[in-house]
Amino acid sequence: MSNNNKKWFSLNLGRKDKESSGSCGCGKTSGGCGSHASETTEMTDEAFAEAAINASIGEERVKDGFEQVFDVKMDRRSAFKKLTASLLIGAGAVSTSCSMISGDESKEKAQIDWEEQFKGNYKLMTDEEKQATVDRLMRSYELRTGKNISMSSKNAEDDVLFGYAFNISKCQGYMDCVNACVEENNQDRDSQMQYIRIHEMKDGKGFNFNEADDNYYHEVPAEGHFYMGTQCFHCDNPPCVEVCPVQATWREADGLVVVDYDWCVGCRYCMAACPYDGRRFNWSKPEVPEAEVNHNQHYLGNRLRKKGVMEKCTFCVQRSRAGKNPACVEACPTGARIFGNLLDPKSTIRWVLENKKVFRLKEDLGTEPKFWYFMD
Amino acid sequence: MRKIVCGFVFLIVFYSCKHGEGEYHGVIEKIEAESENYHGTSISSEQYLEDIKTIEISEDGHTFLIPDRKGQIKSYACTECHTQPLAKMQSKDVKKAHWDIKLNHANENTMNCVTCHNPDNMDNLKSLTGNDIDFNNSYNLCNQCHTKQFEDWKGGAHGKRIGGWAPPRASLTCVNCHNPHKPHFETRWPVRYNTQTVKERD
Repeated sequence: MSNNNKKWFSLNLGRKDKESSGSCGCGKTSGGCGSHASETTEMTDEAFAEAAINASIGEERVKDGFEQVFDVKMDRRSAFKKLTASLLIGAGAVSTSCSMISGDESKEKAQIDWEEQFKGNYKLMTDEEKQATVDRLMRSYELRTGKNISMSSKNAEDDVLFGYAFNISKCQGYMDCVNACVEENNQDRDSQMQYIRIHEMKDGKGFNFNEADDNYYHEVPAEGHFYMGTQCFHCDNPPCVEVCPVQATWREADGLVVVDYDWCVGCRYCMAACPYDGRRFNWSKPEVPEAEVNHNQHYLGNRLRKKGVMEKCTFCVQRSRAGKNPACVEACPTGARIFGNLLDPKSTIRWVLENKKVFRLKEDLGTEPKFWYFMD
Repeated sequence: MRKIVCGFVFLIVFYSCKHGEGEYHGVIEKIEAESENYHGTSISSEQYLEDIKTIEISEDGHTFLIPDRKGQIKSYACTECHTQPLAKMQSKDVKKAHWDIKLNHANENTMNCVTCHNPDNMDNLKSLTGNDIDFNNSYNLCNQCHTKQFEDWKGGAHGKRIGGWAPPRASLTCVNCHNPHKPHFETRWPVRYNTQTVKERD
């Protein structure tokens, strides 16, 4: 069942094994064996996901904090439900594999689901394992929607450390960056999730985020105001990484702070730890219209997320590791956003850091953000 | 025995200073140290510049690409129409050319058409002292007054970068964003409004 030296247990659902296909280990090769419910009808993917979520978190979806733990009616039935939540996935896979009616495709789907469910943390994967999970996710998307995506697992390049500079005298609050970001990164359209916030601030009052207007509704630039954007600053000493109880978020060698959406448990500690409001949580299942899905994806970047996981700006890892500028930089009509390699002494970002008066937000916290602000 | 104790104390002191923060005290120190032996990367943004015709310029040790300008000017070369001196082309019964251009740049004392255009040689621009400036290098005209912006532009702090972050560097030049006849920008509506953004914090 487990071939050579895999880090996690994998279930071979008999897709490759011709002899055992159609049987389920009980010896019979036809008609089901009775121990498995072959008469159960196939669940659709949505119904299955809904059932799994209901079984695992149920009422907690609408509750917060303490209430999630203490204010839950827990009878024997729901306790058993909780215990069997994860088993459901496995049971689903097994029943699919043993079912006579289900075709090769649904078996493959079940095999992929199984392997995805029990895979390891991306951070600990070898390059082959990374490629394998990316291949599975691409195949899974193809099986479910009939469309192809390209997903990359490209690692950080040597001699690269990404940095960002933002010119507060250039930004005019046009918000092209926000639009580009949402489209590039497949963000949930329903909740209007945005990684970037543009704050409209009054001249002469300093950086007063309490009085800043983040939802301005008028022509820009407004008289007597300036604009500044915040997003994830990709700290070199990131407090969000420190607090993650499952190590689902970490800093890559090129400085990007990334999240493994499949390893995240959604505790939101990182959200609380971030002093810059750089992280976002998926309260509901992210909805992206099929026609608007960006098919150029990266495992750590803009691949489609699920409900209940954290996400954030990744400096568009799918673009930046390919040499492109992040979508916000490319979209900015004013040239207020500068992105580049901090280790390249001839890069424009280095010129800005060495020749302009730059500052970072909350520098005294020691988080060492790699996002600088400057003025003309 | 004392040696062992001393060794033990030394080890405790030695390791207690490390908080697991890594080798550097800050990201600036890290950048300085790690970029000392920078050899370049395999990443290039050349492929993203294939569709744009660019020219290479070199100013004060900064060498980079800017978009070609002459190909973008609809009626270049100017001498295709300007076959005779300006004075001969002006008459009351001929429909006025360039009627849509109204100079709105500095004031009348400082600038008029011939501050930048040479009436005797329409195919080139001219500097304040009367030297020819190629249309492709029009930044040399702007930098006669806008010296600070020119410094920033050369370094990369002013002027949008195109292609990607990776070398070779390609930046927009002055006239790609600023209309030289009307260099300021009008106010406009933002491209989106945040109407239903989930309020996550108070």
